[in-house]
Amino acid sequence: MCWVCDLYGDPEIEDGRWFLNPENHSRHMYKIKRPDHKTAAYGTDPEAESGKAIGDIMAKRFEDPDEFEREVAEANAMKGGGPFQIGQVVPIQEAFKIAELSYPVASMHCICRYMCRGHEECNKDEYSCTGLGVGMLKWERWPERYKGGVHFMDPEEVKEWLTKWNKKGMVHTIMTFGGSFVGGLCNCDYPDCQIIRNRLDYGIETGCLKSHYVAKVDYDECNGCGVCVQRCQFGAIKFEVTQGKTNIDHMRCFGCGLCETGCPSKAIELKDRESMPGLKEMW
Amino acid sequence: MNYAGYPTIEIDAGKCTIPFACKKCLEVCPQAVFQTYGIKVEKGRETDPNEPGSYGLSVAYQDKCSGCDDCIEVCPEDAITITFPELEA
Repeated sequence: MCWVCDLYGDPEIEDGRWFLNPENHSRHMYKIKRPDHKTAAYGTDPEAESGKAIGDIMAKRFEDPDEFEREVAEANAMKGGGPFQIGQVVPIQEAFKIAELSYPVASMHCICRYMCRGHEECNKDEYSCTGLGVGMLKWERWPERYKGGVHFMDPEEVKEWLTKWNKKGMVHTIMTFGGSFVGGLCNCDYPDCQIIRNRLDYGIETGCLKSHYVAKVDYDECNGCGVCVQRCQFGAIKFEVTQGKTNIDHMRCFGCGLCETGCPSKAIELKDRESMPGLKEMW
Repeated sequence: MNYAGYPTIEIDAGKCTIPFACKKCLEVCPQAVFQTYGIKVEKGRETDPNEPGSYGLSVAYQDKCSGCDDCIEVCPEDAITITFPELEA
């Protein structure tokens, strides 16, 4: 079972998905952040605390590579108990449900692309990240974080916005801001996105957990066009020359569904990760 | 993972003064090794990217550098040096 759902899901709601549990979008949860919750208290700015904790681990890879490996394993084993922000990939269908559940939703510039490529997103047509929940109502207190402003959207506009980024080939990810409060819904790619890079290149898992799905190819329908290969940000898809068809490695697949939404032949299906014994503990 | 072969990448901050406005190395690097960050903050906002010293450039992923030297080629100020460790014979 997904360990975040185990901690923060409600079995009665949406198959126990933690990010579709209204409690994790509530003002109450935003207020309490971490104290007295199922995770330890870690300061007043969870985003900064998590960033610092990951930065400290990352610095070890030059000083002491063995220690680095140990600390990554330790961080992964904490499963919500440490300072690390929890993040998870979600397919667009689930991102739509979050759009209906969370209020308010405001798009904003992506800090990862800003740092990594000096990429500026200056208006609502360019914003690729969102902040979720009541905290966004006071965004003006942190103008340096919300450079260039934010744009509040209703659920239908959020869906159009998600669809736009999905077409471009971005992965939808959610992240917490302290405890289980779902504070962000972003559109990510490699290598710009820090959480995807931390996971793929350095094995730091908590910020970028796999989704509840895995993509599976119907070989009768696949014509080997290769569109899905271009859309995979996780390096999970290859064009298999022998078969003349696409090959998705279930072990590498994060279940983002980009290949599914891009497939012109409708040859890719998202299967429930937990229905597959070899994958159900792989998050 | 083997980190033995990563280089030392130095940025001369005296030469690299407007990295956010310039961003040539940030955009050209195939391995996305560099990062930029705001230095001057006035009333919570970073100042004009074209003002020298308003932004800094740092090296975040030198362990991913392949030594293609594209950044050195595009840098208008010759501010970047990359030194790989000498391999023992």
